[in-house]
Amino acid sequence: MASNAASRRDEDEVCPVCKSSRYLNPDMRFLINPECYHKMCESCVDRIFSSGPANCPVAGCRKTLRKNRFRKQTFEDIGVEREVDIRRRVMHILNRREEEFDSKRAYDDFLEQREDIIANLVSRIDVAKTEAQLQKYAADNMQSIRANQAIEAEEASSFQARMSLEQEEARLRRQAVRQEYETERREIQAGREDFLTRLASGSSTDAAAIAREGHKVLLKKSSARRSEEERIRQKQAALRLDNKRVSNLSTVEQAGAADTGLVKGLRKIKTPEPEKPYDPFMGYVPEKRDYYSLQSYYPSQYLDPIRNDARMLAGGYDLREYYSRTLLEAFAGLSCFVGEEISQRDAANTSKSTATEGASMAVEGGENTA
Amino acid sequence: MIEDDIYRASSQYRLWSYTEPSLQSLRATTNAVASERVRAALRRSCEAHQSTATSAAGTPLPESNMEVKNKDEKDVECLTPEEELVLVRYYCEKTLELGETYKPPIPTMVRATAIQYLRRFYLTNSPMTYHPKSIMACALFVATKTDNYYISLRQFADGIPGDTTTEDVIAPEFLLMQGLRFTFDVRHPFRGLEGGVLELQAIAQGQGQPAPHLPYETAEDLQQGLLSIAPPPVPSSSMSDRIARAHGTTRELLKSAAQMTDAYFLYTPSQIWFSAFLLADRPLAEFLLDVKLAPETDENGLVNPLYEIRSKLHHVLTECSALLQSYTPLSSDPAQMKSLKRIAKKLYHCQNPEKVNLAAAQKRESTQPSTAVQSDAGIVTSESETERLAKKRKLEQEQKVRQEDDVFGPELVTQRTKQ
Repeated sequence: MASNAASRRDEDEVCPVCKSSRYLNPDMRFLINPECYHKMCESCVDRIFSSGPANCPVAGCRKTLRKNRFRKQTFEDIGVEREVDIRRRVMHILNRREEEFDSKRAYDDFLEQREDIIANLVSRIDVAKTEAQLQKYAADNMQSIRANQAIEAEEASSFQARMSLEQEEARLRRQAVRQEYETERREIQAGREDFLTRLASGSSTDAAAIAREGHKVLLKKSSARRSEEERIRQKQAALRLDNKRVSNLSTVEQAGAADTGLVKGLRKIKTPEPEKPYDPFMGYVPEKRDYYSLQSYYPSQYLDPIRNDARMLAGGYDLREYYSRTLLEAFAGLSCFVGEEISQRDAANTSKSTATEGASMAVEGGENTA
Repeated sequence: MIEDDIYRASSQYRLWSYTEPSLQSLRATTNAVASERVRAALRRSCEAHQSTATSAAGTPLPESNMEVKNKDEKDVECLTPEEELVLVRYYCEKTLELGETYKPPIPTMVRATAIQYLRRFYLTNSPMTYHPKSIMACALFVATKTDNYYISLRQFADGIPGDTTTEDVIAPEFLLMQGLRFTFDVRHPFRGLEGGVLELQAIAQGQGQPAPHLPYETAEDLQQGLLSIAPPPVPSSSMSDRIARAHGTTRELLKSAAQMTDAYFLYTPSQIWFSAFLLADRPLAEFLLDVKLAPETDENGLVNPLYEIRSKLHHVLTECSALLQSYTPLSSDPAQMKSLKRIAKKLYHCQNPEKVNLAAAQKRESTQPSTAVQSDAGIVTSESETERLAKKRKLEQEQKVRQEDDVFGPELVTQRTKQ
């Protein structure tokens, strides 16, 4: 009935621009432009907009339309069509995800705000202001919007993939079941035939024994088959689990952008500190000293003879090694105040102090040893 | 300061640096634990003795038993931490003397290392448990190894007065290492002193270089500064002569006073040598400090950025100098010698009987592989094991004595059935 009604209405549908009706032109298609949602037929669109943007031909509407924006109407009600369009556009921009928010509450607030914006646009309240807000948000959060779109696309595609995989699995299962049923039937048939031939060839005394045996063989076969099936099923389950795990791993956790003016309660993302250039000595400069600058020669009546003694130097002995070591030891720890630092250290880790606990352990250990 | 951080990486700083109160409390706990064990051990050995006596006599004598026990309890009077410290110090001096007896004498550095080993070991162990006499030789021997001064064990044992065998020397070796927490590195102030003297000599000859944070000073400035310091207590012919004399005095101080006091636990090696240097020649040492850390007040009235360090260091060095100065050798003081004799007598009574003969205990352990394995797993078991063995040995000996006394000769049936 519905189709009948539709066709009847289609019959007397008239293009508001050229006034041609479907009755005269059954192939006529109506298009709309989301700019003003005025309906017109395909030939009118071709005629008016082929040579570039033009004003809407409907009287009183001065919207400039472009041909490439014309599309088929999805919903019968133009109001619904428009709302869906607006909703799609806003959702495209305000595409924050739940994991980007601090709390569920913040996310809910965001959802409500989005609904408000959509409602405003649909019912034409504060359109200019809301549009400005949206544009500003879109410009500010270009990056995160794009990232979230990518995530959504990926989710959609992975959902598709999962669906098709499940269908494939179901198909395989069905096929396996059918095959199994076939083989079972064939085996029963074969067993029965075998049984009959043996009965035919054997004597009458064997009949009971043969019958029992045949039954047993059948039972054994079916039980073996069942265990085989069980095994295969388990394997498939394990495989499915593995797949799921892999897909879980592949969902990449992506952090949102910083808190923006429009959307509140976004989770702060910590950008990791930029890596410093590699320093193999961890801030230690090998030849740098704070108390002294090493000289290549120090006058000393003990050391001077060595400087010229070939016997001493032949083995590779270098007085500079001696200088650097003695001078380092002369000042190493000079302003290292043991009393102060050790008491600080002990206070810092009274719970698990290294020095005192180690010492007490040594007491115990020392006193324990034979 | 980079040099300070280098020192902070050493095991001496990380494990063997203490504050005065923590040092005291550590010694007190060590003493308390050891006295507890000595009392328990004495009680055990006494009981073992009595049980064998009563079983031998056949009829127990409860009255005398009680009497002996009471007397024993009263008699065990353990050393106090202070007495232990005096005793350890005496053996540290002995270590110096022991090193002198070898030909050639063992270097000062090695002896100093041995002394520090002794001091560290007796932080967590008590002389009541292990007698310092046996540990001393072992510490010196370990020090020759860790300081890369080779002496064969036989040669080393021969050098020790009295009949000390090689086994006696190395018996407590593992024990000692355990007590040292396997840290053998001892940072001495001797080499640091050499470095300081090198710097002073260079400055005296006009070849000195300023410290990196005082780049505006020239070698001539430094030399002038050195020549204009206050004259030494003992007049000397030239500046290098004066430095050499101060060097000698400081070295003597480091060899004796620094070793025999707690300086190594409380201060860093460079602080120790600086304070000894202060005692030897105060103007010279202060000049060197001024060169290195800038004087306390600038002539322009500017506050020195290192002023805080400088004033703290001044305080620490004064303390350390006082500590070094407070030292008097035990042997030179008859009153101290007298108290030492008293302590030695006291130690004879409160020595832990289970740990007297370490070499024998080790031999026994090595002959019984099963106990050796046990002691590997848990150290605690070995104590009861040795105790059991000691008891058994004593029992056998007494039986032998008794059987010899018997007019009718030894029993035909072995004692085992009686037990």
